[in-house]
Amino acid sequence: MIITFIRRFGWFWLLVFVQALILNNIHLFGYATPFLYAYLILTFDANMSRYSLLLWGFALGLAVDIFSNTPGVNAAATTLLAFTRPSLLRLFTPRDSAEDFSPGIRTMGISPFIRYITFALIIHQTALVMLVTFSFADPLTMLLKVVAGVFITGLCILGLEWGRK
Amino acid sequence: MRNLLNFLFNYGYWILFLLLEIISFMLLFRFNSYQGSVGFTSANWVAGHIYTASANVSSFFKLHTINTQLTQRNIELQAENKALRETLQTLMPDSTLDALSHSLDKLGYTAYPCQVINNSLNRPDNYITLNKGAADGVKPEMGVVDGNGIIGIIYLTSEHYSLAISLLNSKSSISCKFKQNDYFGYLKWKGRDSQYAYLEDLPRHALFQKGDTIVTSGHSAVFPKDLMVGTVDSISDSRDGLSYLLRIRLSTDFANLNDAVIISNKHQKEQHTLEEKAIQEQ
Repeated sequence: MIITFIRRFGWFWLLVFVQALILNNIHLFGYATPFLYAYLILTFDANMSRYSLLLWGFALGLAVDIFSNTPGVNAAATTLLAFTRPSLLRLFTPRDSAEDFSPGIRTMGISPFIRYITFALIIHQTALVMLVTFSFADPLTMLLKVVAGVFITGLCILGLEWGRK
Repeated sequence: MRNLLNFLFNYGYWILFLLLEIISFMLLFRFNSYQGSVGFTSANWVAGHIYTASANVSSFFKLHTINTQLTQRNIELQAENKALRETLQTLMPDSTLDALSHSLDKLGYTAYPCQVINNSLNRPDNYITLNKGAADGVKPEMGVVDGNGIIGIIYLTSEHYSLAISLLNSKSSISCKFKQNDYFGYLKWKGRDSQYAYLEDLPRHALFQKGDTIVTSGHSAVFPKDLMVGTVDSISDSRDGLSYLLRIRLSTDFANLNDAVIISNKHQKEQHTLEEKAIQEQ
């Protein structure tokens, strides 16, 4: 129990620092920034309670916000991600999988996992981009940013998954 | 009662979700006007320390470029210094240097050297974190410049750190003029490219051409007069056709900020009160 908490806590700060010090400075083609910290929310155990998911999501978003001078933006988007995660997970897990598993390539299989993170990241990125821009004046740029963000964040998550295997 | 408890047990997470989202949105909206929100930015104590450490590492890698720039600047200044010294000698024979430094002080500006510890370029609203704060005498509304040109204006300050609104921010609007005459307009950034900003509200009868130098006007009391801003890159009309809209190539390289200077105007408060009084009495 306590060990799981410490492990999550370690991942939490690791991802926040990587986001603040490295990934926030990446803007491929002026559009794509990887938001790798979503990985923490996506890989929490499947049977984790909705309450703690929401609180972890909010805290993670807020920590990233504090480092990027965007108070509320990442917090709102990540809380939304944490809120929708249980439904998404139910949608993409194979029927015969165990009750308690941590989502990943090994436990879900490569193709369901990719579908799962793609959908989740679309929700997260759309919320993020809309909150940062806060206007619909340039919908094409927004769409480009969402697509680019989902793509590059997805690649980073897959890379991290493979690295951990 | 049982039903209600069941309902709360099953759907309570909805309430928590809505509560957390409301908190997020409050943070989002209040940040623009709420001085206390400095704790939720990178100017707070913890984030400040971490960014200082990170800036120390990255400034080491920038040293090469900065060295070249400094050498270049040094050569220019030496040449300028030589030229000025010669003119000075021909114009005024003795004891004038004292008078010169005295008049600079009379202009009423103090400078605080500082370091940029966090900076962004690609958001619609960019901010810069600096490692000097209220304890060092930094206050909101002071100007920030580096060797190449102006950078921004201090927005929030904590004990040892401060957050500046970068020129690259939709909220930034700085009064600028041409170096060779006094026609002025407002410098705004319209997103995307960190090398270009736009000069608005420039009157139709202003005289200038492509490549002219733009400097600060000194009207706002944040920046002294004649600080370098950039050069005119292209000329077009404003949307209503009543004024010019100039694309300005900024002289500051925002992608490579390291050392900066915070400028404080001793007479800024006096000018503010005078201007506000004038508005009230209208």
